[in-house]
Amino acid sequence: MYSAQVSHIAKSFGKTQAVADVSFAVERGEIFGLLGPNGSGKTTTLRVMLDVFKPERGTVSILGGPMSEEKKERIGYMPEERGLYQDMPLERCLVYLATLKGVPAGEARGHLAGYLERFDLAAHKGKKVKELSKGMQQKAQIINTILHRPELVVIDEPFTALDPINTQLVKDLMKELRDQGATIIMSTHQMRQVEELCDRILLIDDGRDVLYGHLGEIRRQYSGHAVLVRLAGELPTVAGVEQVLPHNNAAKLMLAEGTTPQDVLRALMAQDVILEKFEIAVPTLDEIFIRVVEEGDA
Amino acid sequence: MWKLWYVARHEYARNVFKKSFILALLSVPLLIGVNIGLIAFMVSLDNNNAPVGYVDHAGLLSDPIPAPVAPSEGAIQFIPFQTEDEARDALEAKSLQAYYIVSPDYFETSRIDLLYLKEPGENATQQFYDFIQINVLADQPPEIALRAAEGSNVTVRAPDGSREFSGAPTLGAILPVLLSVAFIFLLLMSSGYLMQAVVDEKENRTMEVLITSLSASRLISGKVLGIVAIGLTQLVAWILVGALAVFIGGEVFGIEWFQNPGLDWGPILTVVAIAIPSYVLACGLMVAVGSTVGQAQEGQQIGALFFMLFMIPLYAIMVIGETPNATPSVVLTLLPFTSLMTVGFRSLFSVVPLWQVAASVAIQTACAAGALWLAGRAFRLGMLRYGQRLRFSEIFARARATTTGRSLS
Repeated sequence: MYSAQVSHIAKSFGKTQAVADVSFAVERGEIFGLLGPNGSGKTTTLRVMLDVFKPERGTVSILGGPMSEEKKERIGYMPEERGLYQDMPLERCLVYLATLKGVPAGEARGHLAGYLERFDLAAHKGKKVKELSKGMQQKAQIINTILHRPELVVIDEPFTALDPINTQLVKDLMKELRDQGATIIMSTHQMRQVEELCDRILLIDDGRDVLYGHLGEIRRQYSGHAVLVRLAGELPTVAGVEQVLPHNNAAKLMLAEGTTPQDVLRALMAQDVILEKFEIAVPTLDEIFIRVVEEGDA
Repeated sequence: MWKLWYVARHEYARNVFKKSFILALLSVPLLIGVNIGLIAFMVSLDNNNAPVGYVDHAGLLSDPIPAPVAPSEGAIQFIPFQTEDEARDALEAKSLQAYYIVSPDYFETSRIDLLYLKEPGENATQQFYDFIQINVLADQPPEIALRAAEGSNVTVRAPDGSREFSGAPTLGAILPVLLSVAFIFLLLMSSGYLMQAVVDEKENRTMEVLITSLSASRLISGKVLGIVAIGLTQLVAWILVGALAVFIGGEVFGIEWFQNPGLDWGPILTVVAIAIPSYVLACGLMVAVGSTVGQAQEGQQIGALFFMLFMIPLYAIMVIGETPNATPSVVLTLLPFTSLMTVGFRSLFSVVPLWQVAASVAIQTACAAGALWLAGRAFRLGMLRYGQRLRFSEIFARARATTTGRSLS
């Protein structure tokens, strides 16, 4: 069962092609990561998905069909351009925006009290939004996104301006929402958070989907190009190894095209070394990201 | 549907409970009140109800007949003196504000001398003039003397016979003008609020959150509804203040002008009929402007241009007054922006033909529909242009793209 299905969408602004061809599906109850370099089309993809922009090509199905007024109440969206009424007291601002999501004001006020407490903003609820720090405004924005208990949460760069404590708070909240059955689509540059939170990812580059799937599978797919080796003695020269890099207490052997980890292991054993560690190096998401984008540029 | 009400309520509350709104609400009646008060004060400075003396050497006032005086004015006492010395003593003792000496050869020369220490009130000189006039005519039958003292009863009539009023224009006759001016103020104020409401959403970056909560049409409808409610609040407040002023003026101060307003509903309804589409036209254009500009200041500058368009008839008031049914007046009646005030002015001098009213309402309505279309497009295209302008050519370029079959964002 999918919360969102995007199929071959395209969107341009004048002569600029923001999204050329992007397809993905987000399963219900997962945290989905939308990645890509700056200007790759992530935000436009989200906006098309949420019916802010109409696509020139392709189709979008959200919560089982096209977007509707009723569905808007089941979606929480935190856009890249953060927005709250700067001249309004925090509580009034959040309650008003929640009422537009179909929550009665009294109920919204009740939900809000708990979130303000949790995010350490209770003492600031009467202050105007503009009087809050950037981090506090970011937290308020996150509360605004989830206050109406949405089924689908779409967040563009959720960790911007947050300190490590609040980052952890938001991560815990996202996991909690997922455990309660909500689907989360998160667009971010912060690969560590993606690795920690996301089940599946989509990497967009130049308006096209270039990498899509389960995080574990993707990492496996991009592993095999390096091995981690620790020996009792000196590392001998091994055929098919292009580069040797220090890696914690071991060495990371970068393999040449056509060389497999088995070839390296065989070569080492043939030289009668005492092997303490031999491990296929799983690339970080950062490394995969850079590699895919560089390959695309090439 | 209720989201629309929430937006309307939000717009209403965030504007109406501001000090600036309350100031704006009170400023117009306050300004009018202060002006009227100042005029009344200046007039009262020119008036003096102290007794006036006279020495009659001509025998004109030996058996004086009092002249009729308006109840609101207050009759001044005229005291006869046998000699000029007695009159001078009374003046110096400050029991008189002035005294007149009717010269012995008055019937030949009309000479009357006025003596005073401080210039007497205008009401005193006017009443003494009437007093003399009625007494000069004393040997005439009383009704002729009174008619002569009251002056002529002039009826002002339009050359085509479409409009007439007696004496000075009644409150009812100038009401369409006042109403059209009030509507223009209201319309400019409301459309300004509306433009500000759109610009504020852009400046606060709340647009994206809003349009993923409700449709753009409901958002704009809610805003328009809220702003219309603000306008109605202003209008009702002004009408109440106006009605109160008429009541106080008529019942408390006995001002005749307020006692018999002589309401004529035809011109009033004509102004209202044109005001409604004009209001929608202005609101639509202001939403379009608010959507295209990057900052509030820019929008205010464009708003000032609209204000000038609405004010064009003010510069043509002489032409409209002299030839209310000539081509320039008809053209200004039919044109958007200028029609409201032109119809108000024309109603003062003539009856605007029904076909012109109907044509004007039709043109205004068509323009209002166009403005709403433009507003919708501009809003859709410009809502996420934070800090950037949307060129009008882009709106039309995209509209052309639609008509030629290309897809539209």
